[in-house]
Amino acid sequence: MASSKKVETRLCAVTFFAKVHPGDVCGSNGLPLTPNSIAILGRAQRLKELKDEHLCQYLDVIRDKHERTIVVSEYLGCSLEDHIQRSSGHHLEINEILRIFYQVAGGLNVLVKHKLVVHNLEPKHILMESDGSRIKLFNYGLHHMTKGGAYVPFPIGNIRYMSPERLMGQNGNIKSDVWSLAMIMVELIFHIELWPKLKISNVARKILALGRSNNVIEKLAREHQCYEAYLAMDKDLRDLLDRCLSVLPKQRPLPQEVMQHSCFQSVVESLARKEPKPDDGKPKPLLLHCPLSQIYHLWQLAGGDVQAELKKEGLIRSEAPILGLPQIVRLNGSSVCPKRSQSHLMDDRVVPLKLQPLIQRLSRLPAHIYFPLLHSPRFAPLQQQFASELQQLPLIIRERDIEYQFHRVRLFATLLQGYPHTAELLQREASVDIPPLLRGPVWAALLDVLPNCSYTKIDKFTATSTDRQIEVDIPRCHQYDELLSSPDGHRKLKRLLKAWVTAHPQYVYWQGLDSLTAPFLYLNFNNEELAFLSLFKFIPKYLQWFFLKDNSAIIKEYLSKFSQLTAFHEPLLAQHLASISFIPELFAIPWFLTMFSHVFPLHKILHLWDKLMLGDSSYPLFIGIAILKQLKTTLLNSGFNECILLFSDLPDIVMENCVIESQKMYEATPKSITHRQHAVPQQPLHPLDIGIGDVQLKHLQTEQCPRISAKDVQHLLMHSSSELALIDLRGILEYSHVHVPHSINIPFATVQLGEQRLDALNVPQLEAQLRGRIVVCVSNIHQHAIEFSNFLVACGVLRTCILHKGFNVLHSIEPNILISN
Amino acid sequence: MHVNGNGNDASRTVEFVYKYKDYEQKDCVARLDIKFPFDDEDLEELVTQLLSQMDPMMRLLDENINLEKELQSFVDREHQLFLDDHAEKLLNQLANEEIDLEAIVRDTERWYKDELLQFADRVGPSDEDIFAQSFHRLVHSSSLEEILKRERAYAKVIGDMTEHMDSEVETLNNSQQQEMDSQINQLDITTTSEDINNLLAQQYTTQNFVRKRYESELEAMMGHQKNEYRDWITSQVGQIYQVSPVSTPLGNRSSMFVSQQPSMEESFTIHLGSQLKHMHNIRILSANVTELCSPLHAEESLNGLNMALGLYSSSLCGVVVLTPSIQAQANKNIIKNANKSTEFHFEQMDAQLEKIEKQIRALDTNTDTTSSGSGSGSSMEGSVEGSAEGGSAQSSPIKRHVPRLKTGDFFVTKHSNLSQSHVIFHLISDEPINSPSEINSRHPVILGLRNILKTASRHDITTLTIPALLRHEMSEDMTVQWCIRRAELVFKCAKGFMIESASWGGAELSTLQLLLPDDISESLFTTLAGMVPNVFRVANPKILVDNNNKL
Repeated sequence: MASSKKVETRLCAVTFFAKVHPGDVCGSNGLPLTPNSIAILGRAQRLKELKDEHLCQYLDVIRDKHERTIVVSEYLGCSLEDHIQRSSGHHLEINEILRIFYQVAGGLNVLVKHKLVVHNLEPKHILMESDGSRIKLFNYGLHHMTKGGAYVPFPIGNIRYMSPERLMGQNGNIKSDVWSLAMIMVELIFHIELWPKLKISNVARKILALGRSNNVIEKLAREHQCYEAYLAMDKDLRDLLDRCLSVLPKQRPLPQEVMQHSCFQSVVESLARKEPKPDDGKPKPLLLHCPLSQIYHLWQLAGGDVQAELKKEGLIRSEAPILGLPQIVRLNGSSVCPKRSQSHLMDDRVVPLKLQPLIQRLSRLPAHIYFPLLHSPRFAPLQQQFASELQQLPLIIRERDIEYQFHRVRLFATLLQGYPHTAELLQREASVDIPPLLRGPVWAALLDVLPNCSYTKIDKFTATSTDRQIEVDIPRCHQYDELLSSPDGHRKLKRLLKAWVTAHPQYVYWQGLDSLTAPFLYLNFNNEELAFLSLFKFIPKYLQWFFLKDNSAIIKEYLSKFSQLTAFHEPLLAQHLASISFIPELFAIPWFLTMFSHVFPLHKILHLWDKLMLGDSSYPLFIGIAILKQLKTTLLNSGFNECILLFSDLPDIVMENCVIESQKMYEATPKSITHRQHAVPQQPLHPLDIGIGDVQLKHLQTEQCPRISAKDVQHLLMHSSSELALIDLRGILEYSHVHVPHSINIPFATVQLGEQRLDALNVPQLEAQLRGRIVVCVSNIHQHAIEFSNFLVACGVLRTCILHKGFNVLHSIEPNILISN
Repeated sequence: MHVNGNGNDASRTVEFVYKYKDYEQKDCVARLDIKFPFDDEDLEELVTQLLSQMDPMMRLLDENINLEKELQSFVDREHQLFLDDHAEKLLNQLANEEIDLEAIVRDTERWYKDELLQFADRVGPSDEDIFAQSFHRLVHSSSLEEILKRERAYAKVIGDMTEHMDSEVETLNNSQQQEMDSQINQLDITTTSEDINNLLAQQYTTQNFVRKRYESELEAMMGHQKNEYRDWITSQVGQIYQVSPVSTPLGNRSSMFVSQQPSMEESFTIHLGSQLKHMHNIRILSANVTELCSPLHAEESLNGLNMALGLYSSSLCGVVVLTPSIQAQANKNIIKNANKSTEFHFEQMDAQLEKIEKQIRALDTNTDTTSSGSGSGSSMEGSVEGSAEGGSAQSSPIKRHVPRLKTGDFFVTKHSNLSQSHVIFHLISDEPINSPSEINSRHPVILGLRNILKTASRHDITTLTIPALLRHEMSEDMTVQWCIRRAELVFKCAKGFMIESASWGGAELSTLQLLLPDDISESLFTTLAGMVPNVFRVANPKILVDNNNKL
């Protein structure tokens, strides 16, 4: 058979429309109601986590224009319905039927454990592998994602298999599914189709009649002329079916009880034996050994377009919008429309998504890309060889390159499996880039998160005084995003925020915490604990003390440091902003308090934080400078009012440049320059470092240039003296007595700082000597250093700083770096 | 645990009693009333509630783990029991025939038939639908040019006919005038006033006759053209299908060529949204609204191409035209323009208006009985044609309650033969001419505007023109101050609606045109245009500097 050689369809899509809210209605909070398609999207996320051998995995839920929802899930072999049609005349053996029965019950049982019901169980939704050995339930989540059908206009479930109580309006009882299952089995056992020719109304009447009968199976058998087969039925099986088709749900068994029934004994045994599948000589493509979520992600990267596939099958009909326009719309929203076209009806066809091109495309990749061996000695060179070329390309291109992403996804998946032992390697690889598919767990790993179930212990429900503020903020937090605007997203965000507040009695809820939490929730929507722990670790790392009730000292220090660093990297801009009194307090507080998550859309934050996660607590400052740098021309030409207006609604920032710039500055800045007393120290303090209480806020506010520690000066001197320019401000005598080699002596007493030009200093080629270097002003009189450094900034000299504790501290450096004449 | 039989079978409350030993090994009890049916998401909350009854120490002792386990199994059991009991009650009703079974059967059948394609009475695509698809396919093929050629030729015939009619009517007029003049000169000499009256009547009849004759000729010609055209399109599409598949996908953006240069115009690109920014174009222009709805084939222009490409696409062009609430009256000049050539795709504008008129009547009788605003889209199907006798649009005003639309309502006409609009939204506005009033953002006209934007979003109208002053003509007492206030209101509301539209899940408005009267003064135009960048935040130019060239 030619068909069996083809790789089976593994992915498929179904689509439907959500119910449209009538007219203009508002929710209880006065805000417009969330569209049902968004609510569906939020509810469906949970289903993606269900992984079981008897359930088709959910992979994606897409919200299209005009309230359309598209669901992508796993698919397997063919449906029971197709199987029966295809093999007409050739009936299923009784033990095959039992196998199906048992496995479907197994699937139901898993769903019961997750508090789910199916309610659309029918042969179309029971899939079997081509050899009939494995059964999976399909489309079982429709009931859950639509909140029991409340979000969609159409009824859920095939009426023929519907239990009487469901027909009468009950919703959500798993026993109704047991009924459906038994009805399907009756069909299989008797080789019949239930009421094949009856109209819906008559089927409904039949079912209601069953609801009043005593022996459902007998009645069915008589109706379908198979009373003899009924009599000949195995007693055990009949007993089980009788119970499953009890009119009163109380008497029906739960799926678990079904599975324990004695008639499945042989089935259980044969399943347990699990004969190795007959090898048809052809190994499965390597790709199919990868998790389906990864395969689907790659399929999308490879140009897979679910909408296009649906369109091809006629499931998304391109009806001309002009024909559907209403003729009259009244003020209250009621309208006169042309008749609704049938393209809006529920069409339950399943569209397969072809994997073959993807498999072929990836088939020429070597196996070590599929399964990277981290600890093999050849690992590094192999990886290098594969990816180094691509890593020169811009991030946006890398994120869309299928081979590259495949390589990265496989690599990070392996690294995450080995976490925390692979933390170091993970950090290294993350500095190249992070594959979007695994960003959530990768970030968590970068933040040293180790899930420990502590999240469940935190009280997330008891009312607190911050609840009101949280309630107000959540419906305004990144609501353009479908996940975050869904009711489920709101609930989750609320829980996370309350948990964080409860877990930090020393802190308070500052507005902005919601934005800060949003990226973590977005990335770990199905794993609240991971989201919470990431936030939990993120805040002390970058925002230590920011959430104190009185955080003014911390914020002031932070913003002063920001000003200093701006002067350090962008002296002219800093000069200009200072001259128009456009101080960071006016615009930068939300930047830093939310780590920019309040000012940028999520997709930009993700790239920004990819790099942020790798840096220390000073990194955000450089992002701030990078933003200013990008707006430099506008800012330099603007006065105070224009600047305020510009920042009131931050213009579009090119994130890639911002990231690159900030990283450059971050790397070019000695650590002590960014010293803040409120930051968590990364390493134990060295005597030559800037001490914790050394620099007070008042110093920061009066000194335009940051201070550098003797340790960093020493380090620069020893390792990269070409990047250092030391200006010695002491008198000539002192200088000749002892000085740092290659330092420039400009005695402070002799210079006139009135004119803001370097030439005025009369030092030959001073500008050339300072260009591209870190300029350290050294003096024994601190005030001199401050004044001189201010002069340099005014002259536009880049990277000016002051040696902390002045020249004398250099004496204490061991080994000696000074030379004396 | 006991069951609170609170009579209500839709839910019931059961008490959960949790026995545990505290840290001193004392026996303790925690209780909680739990309501069924149960939503599983609440479990953790209930655990919290129970824990809060206990000593805080118990949380640290991991009591929550055992508590959750027990609560879970309790809830599972009770939930199942509740459902089973509920079902039993229903089934008992069924057995005792206490409920209307036929109603269930009927409702079920209707539900399945109305909403599931599988069971619906299949109706094939309508003729309109098929024609739309054929046309759309054809227009995106090499036949486009021929289509336009044909349309132009057809339009020329109609144009010639109307011209002919006009000139004949005019000649007739002139000759009649002369005749009349000569008669009047002879009054009391050879003619009596009676003669003149007779002549007047006779002239009137002749004129009427001539007009009627032409009108029926025109009508016949238009009908003929329409049939011929549609047949031709359908025949063409069969051929094209054999040659090449669809060449361009649906939804190409039709750009707007403005053939009649409006007197003043300025364009802006804006970004809306607080974090995620959406880009829109704003164009402010001064023009007569009829210029936006001028006949398509009147002169050689590129617009015919654009309008044809866009007609069945998902980027339509719409115009908002204000109209007083006197029945379904559209702007006379626009009707005239629409009648300059045959409407091949939709009904001729008069017929559309007539239909809408009927629907308004039906609507009015309906809204008196049924609750209004019960739903959009499907509340009143197009089939409510109304039993009202087919009164023409010119029927004399009836004394009793006249059904009519109110301020803020609008009706919609569709066009394929106008220069810049596929869709005209006729928004009812009764602002009296010559006495400009003050309105606020809750005014019905503004809300009507919002409904229009909503309809536009739902039906893929991506270019929309709105009257920026909610007036089509300037008048003496529209002071500069008033205009600024009014424009600011409209701009701000439009901005708000556009931001809101991001969550409507429809098509995004790519271009919003703010239309000012064509007789606006240049200085006022400049002032109002200057307000646009202030109200809508204009996108900053992105300047990309190559940072690597700094060596």
